[in-house]
Amino acid sequence: MHIAEGFLPITDCVVWYALSAPFVVHGARQVIKQSKEDPESRLLLAAAGAFTFVLSSIKLPSVTGSSSHPTGTGLGAVLFRPPVMAFLSTIVLIFQALLLAHGGITTLGANVFSMGIAGPWVGYTCWRLSSRLGWNQNVGVFSALAFADLSTYVVTSVQLGIAFPDPVSGLLGSVAKFMSIFAISQIPLAIAEGILGVLVFRLLTDVARPELERLGVIKTAEHAKTGA
Amino acid sequence: MAHGLAMDQAAWTSPWRTRSVRDKAVLTLGLLLAAVTLPPVPGGVAVASVSLALLLGPIRVGLTRLWRISWLPLLSILIGVATVAVSPTWDAGPGLEVTPAGSAMAAALAVRAVAATLAMFTLACSTPIVDLFAALRRAHVPDPLIEIGSLIYRFTVGLLESAAAIHDAQVARLGYATRSAAMRSASMGVAVLFVRSWDRARRLEAGLSGRGYDDRLCTLEPDRVRSGRFLAGSIALLAVLTGTSVAWAVLR
Repeated sequence: MHIAEGFLPITDCVVWYALSAPFVVHGARQVIKQSKEDPESRLLLAAAGAFTFVLSSIKLPSVTGSSSHPTGTGLGAVLFRPPVMAFLSTIVLIFQALLLAHGGITTLGANVFSMGIAGPWVGYTCWRLSSRLGWNQNVGVFSALAFADLSTYVVTSVQLGIAFPDPVSGLLGSVAKFMSIFAISQIPLAIAEGILGVLVFRLLTDVARPELERLGVIKTAEHAKTGA
Repeated sequence: MAHGLAMDQAAWTSPWRTRSVRDKAVLTLGLLLAAVTLPPVPGGVAVASVSLALLLGPIRVGLTRLWRISWLPLLSILIGVATVAVSPTWDAGPGLEVTPAGSAMAAALAVRAVAATLAMFTLACSTPIVDLFAALRRAHVPDPLIEIGSLIYRFTVGLLESAAAIHDAQVARLGYATRSAAMRSASMGVAVLFVRSWDRARRLEAGLSGRGYDDRLCTLEPDRVRSGRFLAGSIALLAVLTGTSVAWAVLR
């Protein structure tokens, strides 16, 4: 459900590229820094990127009877932080454009902004907020993934609304129109992605605990005992 | 995923694969720019026609494969265009109406999006991703970024096969027969896929570190044909497209 190739006017393309560029450059710097400090993380970052790509190709049932796909960036934001996801999402979106014809090169800036910047930051904020408030980890993971998904599509609706203001109801009417169409599949999908995220995260804490501890996603057993 | 694999296969087998990425990028980016900046008629229509001729001609995608590649993006464009065409109204309760302004905007959008999609295919169906990474390396993009990009590509190919195998096995066990079974199957599939990608990364890392891997995975790159004539022809084609559009606008 990315914005298709050629869908946005040239002015919008330039503006969204300009808005996304600083986040992507910052993310790329973080990736270079992280891979120099910890070369092992390079392969894990690549695995996370590939997982994000493949996740977006897995069809999930939606309320309309049709199917749609999750964004997969919420989990990445929890694991690797939003700046890194801005860069990884850019690569994933380029692959999706060139391998699957999802999205496009002219709309890359807009798609990066919605899926690689807004989604991960909203998801990560939910995760941090949940941790601060001492909520159950499952609630944190669920809200991170569900709101990362929802916010991606809210931003996409705003981008389309700005590009195509409705002749009758104007900008707000257009945004509402795109949001209501997305909502049919995206609200149930966001809930489904949240539940999936909880299941995946539980599995990961069992099979990949050392990696999660190294990434600082979960506390080490020693820290947990001392309460640090 | 069939259309995705079809695009990748088209890129690997295209006669234009031996051409330099620089030459192809100039042509494709020029066509893309023309598609989104020139008026839909005649600019957008001309870009779509030229791209189609290139895809079916020298790039040799083939009509059947081109349809497999393009039906999904075309469907996506159709849904988007239909959404733009209708306007919500509240006069006699909530409803939808099609206005002349909305129709005109939707028609222009349809031409522009189809033209740009076909233009993008000229690069995607003639240049495998690995060739793009090699070109980026020559353009001095930092090695760690290229490495992560190419590793994502390598993992993606393997994981797509795993995802397809997991899905087929679940379908064979009626894993998608009901909504609740589909939800359960999808969650299990995603979890298994994540663990597999994690595990493959770990095993690859162990294997590579044993071979002295530090910061880049170098492979032999075949020579690419850099053609001044191709480049000049591309620029001339883009100039003709732009000139024709401008002349059309002035003479109308």
